[in-house]
Amino acid sequence: MARRKSNKGNKGSVNGTAVCIGAVAAVVLGILAFSGGGAKRAAVDNARNFSIADYRTDASRYTNNRYSIEGRVENIETLGNDRLIAVSVTGNSQERLPLLVRSGVAQGVNLTRGDTFLFEVECCTGHDNDQKEIKGVLVVRRVETK
Amino acid sequence: MFGVLDAQMEPGNYAITPDLSGNHGNNNANNKKPRSSHSKKARDSRADDEDYDDEDEDDSRSSRRRGAGGGSGTTDNGEPENPRLMGMEIPLLDPASDTVTYNGGKFDVGNNAVVRARFEKYLQQNPDDSAEAKRYRQRMDDLMKLTQNNARQHSEVGSQTLLQIGRGLYEINTYPGDAGQAATLASSIASALAVQYANRDREKKNEQLTHEIEKLVHDTDILTTRNTHGPSHKQVGTGRSARVVKNESKSHTFRIAEQTTEIATKKGTKVKNDADSVAALELSKINYQATLVSFLFQRRFEHALIGSFAYRHIFRDGDNKLNIKKDSQAAKVFENGAGLPPTINSIASLAANARREVDQNMEAVTNLLAQNKLAEATQHLIEAVAIGEYMPSVATFPTESRRRIAEFWTLRKRTLTALNARDYGTLEEIADKMKKLDADFDDSLVRTYCDGRKLQSDMCLRNARKAFMSGDEEAATDYAEQAALIWPRNPHLKEMQEEVLKLDNNESIITEFKSLLARHQYRTIYNERSKFKVVAIDPELEKQLEDCATLIGTIDAMLAQIDVAAKQDKKMGPCMAYEMLLDFQDKDSRYMEDTAFKDAVVRFKVDARDFVAALDEAKVQEERREYGSALANYYRAQCLCLPSNRAKEGIDRVSQLILAAKFPQ
Repeated sequence: MARRKSNKGNKGSVNGTAVCIGAVAAVVLGILAFSGGGAKRAAVDNARNFSIADYRTDASRYTNNRYSIEGRVENIETLGNDRLIAVSVTGNSQERLPLLVRSGVAQGVNLTRGDTFLFEVECCTGHDNDQKEIKGVLVVRRVETK
Repeated sequence: MFGVLDAQMEPGNYAITPDLSGNHGNNNANNKKPRSSHSKKARDSRADDEDYDDEDEDDSRSSRRRGAGGGSGTTDNGEPENPRLMGMEIPLLDPASDTVTYNGGKFDVGNNAVVRARFEKYLQQNPDDSAEAKRYRQRMDDLMKLTQNNARQHSEVGSQTLLQIGRGLYEINTYPGDAGQAATLASSIASALAVQYANRDREKKNEQLTHEIEKLVHDTDILTTRNTHGPSHKQVGTGRSARVVKNESKSHTFRIAEQTTEIATKKGTKVKNDADSVAALELSKINYQATLVSFLFQRRFEHALIGSFAYRHIFRDGDNKLNIKKDSQAAKVFENGAGLPPTINSIASLAANARREVDQNMEAVTNLLAQNKLAEATQHLIEAVAIGEYMPSVATFPTESRRRIAEFWTLRKRTLTALNARDYGTLEEIADKMKKLDADFDDSLVRTYCDGRKLQSDMCLRNARKAFMSGDEEAATDYAEQAALIWPRNPHLKEMQEEVLKLDNNESIITEFKSLLARHQYRTIYNERSKFKVVAIDPELEKQLEDCATLIGTIDAMLAQIDVAAKQDKKMGPCMAYEMLLDFQDKDSRYMEDTAFKDAVVRFKVDARDFVAALDEAKVQEERREYGSALANYYRAQCLCLPSNRAKEGIDRVSQLILAAKFPQ
């Protein structure tokens, strides 16, 4: 299983200046990362590094990780403009992977049942109205027609 | 009357004692002084008649009381009236009198034991119509005609005729059916005649004595005259030899004295003869009368009639009064029966009436049998046999008719037995048979009585059952005892007894049932449900038993259906089966208590292990709020079993949560 290290800050004895420099650097890096040319970044793993079986047993392990997954849309649940789709990953028809497609993410891609798409997803933890955690949900960041 | 007669026939029940009181002990009461004797007897008779009248009145009052007995709600002896059921009086059997008291009246159910025994003996005998019997009856008729003809002609029956009767009686004495009664009568006639002859001899002797006395008196008178009117002395001889001697009157005096003594002796002898005659006559009458009364009691009416007719010719003093002790049983027969003063004529009258009544009864029996009215025919035959068992019409009654009556009589006897045993079922069966034999037989009393008693018993039993159910065993026992007393062979009584016994014996079974129920061993209860049927005595346990049976029955039927369905689709079948089992389990937690159900769950869980694992994992992840994993598992389960409701429900539920949640952009 491939997994990236989570970006957790070092809480060593750091002085205030270093903290400020670090923060600035992080902002710069962030901007670079989510700029228009960031989609092809090496931070996105492909589906070969993603195991659905593992995901079913402990999705939180993948939190904040990003994956590029190719799959066919098998089912679509809708709430408002948000959609929750179930895709069958190529090569594994006995599994369905639930993906949350927020409003506007598809950007002109018509998600239809039976079609295959390339999804860039990130495992996220959300919150419901009571601020309780909704863990291990794969949120689609970008969709491309295959 | 004949009930009384039967009672009289018992040894020692009647007594005929000579009335030797002053009336008949009077030596002057002989043939020579009939007028004074008769007038005194007439007075006595009137006095006796007055006594009879008083007694008759008392009897009639007593009879009225008896007639009204029970009608007012109390019996003569102050017994309480019969119990009532639903406004109807329950008939009560009096075993002492074989009668049933009902609505103030007494109903005969078989007559007394003596009559019954004699009647049964009669029914089993063959008709006595042998040549010897016919000859006997012919001879007896001849004798009766002989006496009756003489009586009608007012001619005195001479000694020769009486001897002819006596000889005739001795001749028929050899017939076994006569039982020596003819000889007894002949002997009585002979004895009476012998006394009469002896009295006649004494009369002749007395007449001779009278003549002798008269002669002696005459002679004595002459001698007395000579002594009174002749010289007291006379000279005997002449001259110096002449002497004066006392007259013969001296010898007359002695002679007179001697003759006087002789007269007194003869008179004494005469008086003694008279006294002997009177005493012998009275004793002879008493013996003869006793024989006649005995014939009447033995129902030998021909003998009694012949003897009665002969009486007046044997004893010609006109004294016909029976010397029966007052207040004796025999006297009561004549008082209550015919209402006549007890005379020889009473015997003749009773005997003649009895013969006529018997013949009429037998005529009625024959006619009733021809109409198939067995009940009435039986009653008339009982009366006829009781009155005149030895009468020709009774003795020659045909065998076939006796057999028919005997059949009906046996049923009637069984009625009494069944009534005594309070076996109302049998009683009704017997009534049915009697009704079949005699369509006119009135069985309403029997049926009403039986129905009332059966209902009463059943009601007690119902109360007993209710008391038992409520746990009041004491009251239940009391009610059951009452029911058994009223109708010992009540079939419901046996049922209840069996129920109670079974319940007692199965107390351990009930305990076992409760234990199994507490441990939720429903299938064990179901498998042994026939054994546990005894718990039905308790409605609550009965319901639980039914619930167990229903539950296990439902499970078995369901498992059978699921097995069939699972085999039809080997891929999704086990998954569907498993999910259905879970659904049933959710509906009723008792399903998981059943071993067969649990076995099925385990079996299908193995067969659908991937599906089960996905669902289980989904549930676990959902609880951990790992909704992504949970949803993926639900989808996995749906992939394995598309129709799965649980998977669909999970997908819907979790999808809605995720869609409604907020995630970082």
